Amino acid sequence: MQRVLTPAWWLGDGGRRVGAIALVAGIVIAGPLLDGAGESFWMMALTRALILGVLAVATNVAWGVTGIFTLGQAVFFGVGAYVVGLLATREDVVALESLAGAALGAGLLCGLVVGAFLFFGRRRVGMLYVGLVTLALSYALERLASVWGEIGAGNGITGIPLPTLLGTEIEPGISFFWVAVVTLLVVLGLAWAVMRSQFGMVMRAIRDDDERAEFLGYRRPIVQLVVFAATGGVGALAGGLYALEEGFVSPTFLGVSLSTQVLIYVLLGGRDSLVGPLVGVLLLEVGGQRVQEELPTEWPIIVGAVLLLVILFLPNGLTQLGRRRRRAAAPRPETAAEVSGGDPRGE
Amino acid sequence: MAILEASEIVKRFGPVTALSGAGLQVEPTTIHGLIGPNGSGKSTLLHVIAGRTLPDGGRVVLDGADITRAKPAQRARAGMSIKFQLARVYHEQTVADNLLLALQVRDGIPSLVLSRTRRRHQERVRRLLDDFGLTHVRDHPAGELAHGEQQWLEIAMAMATEPKLLLLDEPTGGMNRHERERTGELIRAAATTCAVVIVEHDLDFIRDLCDRITVLHQGTLVASGTPVEIERDERVAEVYLTRV
Repeated sequence: MQRVLTPAWWLGDGGRRVGAIALVAGIVIAGPLLDGAGESFWMMALTRALILGVLAVATNVAWGVTGIFTLGQAVFFGVGAYVVGLLATREDVVALESLAGAALGAGLLCGLVVGAFLFFGRRRVGMLYVGLVTLALSYALERLASVWGEIGAGNGITGIPLPTLLGTEIEPGISFFWVAVVTLLVVLGLAWAVMRSQFGMVMRAIRDDDERAEFLGYRRPIVQLVVFAATGGVGALAGGLYALEEGFVSPTFLGVSLSTQVLIYVLLGGRDSLVGPLVGVLLLEVGGQRVQEELPTEWPIIVGAVLLLVILFLPNGLTQLGRRRRRAAAPRPETAAEVSGGDPRGE
Repeated sequence: MAILEASEIVKRFGPVTALSGAGLQVEPTTIHGLIGPNGSGKSTLLHVIAGRTLPDGGRVVLDGADITRAKPAQRARAGMSIKFQLARVYHEQTVADNLLLALQVRDGIPSLVLSRTRRRHQERVRRLLDDFGLTHVRDHPAGELAHGEQQWLEIAMAMATEPKLLLLDEPTGGMNRHERERTGELIRAAATTCAVVIVEHDLDFIRDLCDRITVLHQGTLVASGTPVEIERDERVAEVYLTRV
């Protein structure tokens, strides 16, 4: 109890844990409150943000935790959206279970194919290489979708019907909000478990010094491929949900703009933080909603300026503030020689 | 049978030939020093053996298996371990987790995702911490350790994989006399279970520690033998007296 009352606890892991729980609880409570108040605009904005939050959490696991600097996370999002859009409009598949499974599978497959190209066959895989290839892919697929008549070309896919869950139609509003909340909680739970696991240690080891990890015996390409494919699957799931929530799919879902946007969420909230990316999404997509409407031209400049300030003064993002102070305040350990009076083994 | 045989190694960097026919033969559970003046190619030879650099010619055989073109991870899994010149430990992770990282390298991804083997490795982590005098810092981020302790942690990580061959690139760089002595003790202890190859500038350290020494000069083998034989070798004396 005494620990809880100290500033160090609140600035450290304890405070961050409480903050994360409060954030999730706040989101869960906000839905019914907005629904009760008839605020359908804000309800939709929050639902969209939660779905983008799923994409941001996946991006953070790939980039923030494993160091795979992907500038094309929207590719998975778009693939998931198009798969769901095509299945729902051409094949009349409306069961959310099937659509979500198809999106997830398509993202996984896409991640495996792109990942195999990225990570195998090269002795060193630099951040710049991965960034440029994924950026080019994102750009190319957006252009391709814009001219490919079979998938709606520039108009995308419209008129996507409402999905059903266990035979019941999911209405826009609070029902879709709950679908988004449950998906986000499951993804957050999985990300939390993986980040705390022994595999999470390997992911960070590859991020921090991939050559050292290889000399220990880790097969870097396999670890990167697993993470890239898994986060691709989750990104595609987010895209599929987004398409169902919005009722349409656009080539921009695959594009560079969304890919960049997701990186901004992660940077703003904090890399290698569980809820950091979610904080970034909520700040920009919900908190900044009114500003975005009032000042549409200035909005990108405002986002850019905020991002610059964060990079300069909080390079680990808003949610890492406590960790930074705690580490700075932590006492350095005594050297072995000091402990033992000369003998590092203390003998 | 030798645990390591590197023979006729050739390595060129553009117009510069760093190694021209150099080689090394290391017997099990011996300590083998690799010395030579600056630019002699000793670090390049170590990197070729480790798989950090691929050779343009020659063969590297570890315990009977040709690993000349093998990737670093394959070499590590075949029983080779390395400590780099500058300690490369994971600064953000704790000392104990650095050791766990090394110990769990052969565990499958599903086991790692489910953290199934963490408990199984704890006893070995505890023993390594004790052997290397790092118990008092087990829960500190490795980046907070003193220079010498980081070097010992990296040697401990290299030993955690129970290698057949341990490669040490200047293990006493930047250490004081006491730390050098302690490092020597740790290397001797390591050599009871595996062969050790050391690249080192400190000739006194090498002479006191090694069973055999190989001397390189301008990418070629000058001499190989016991410390006494090397000390008496005229070609070695000439190399060190006429070095540029």
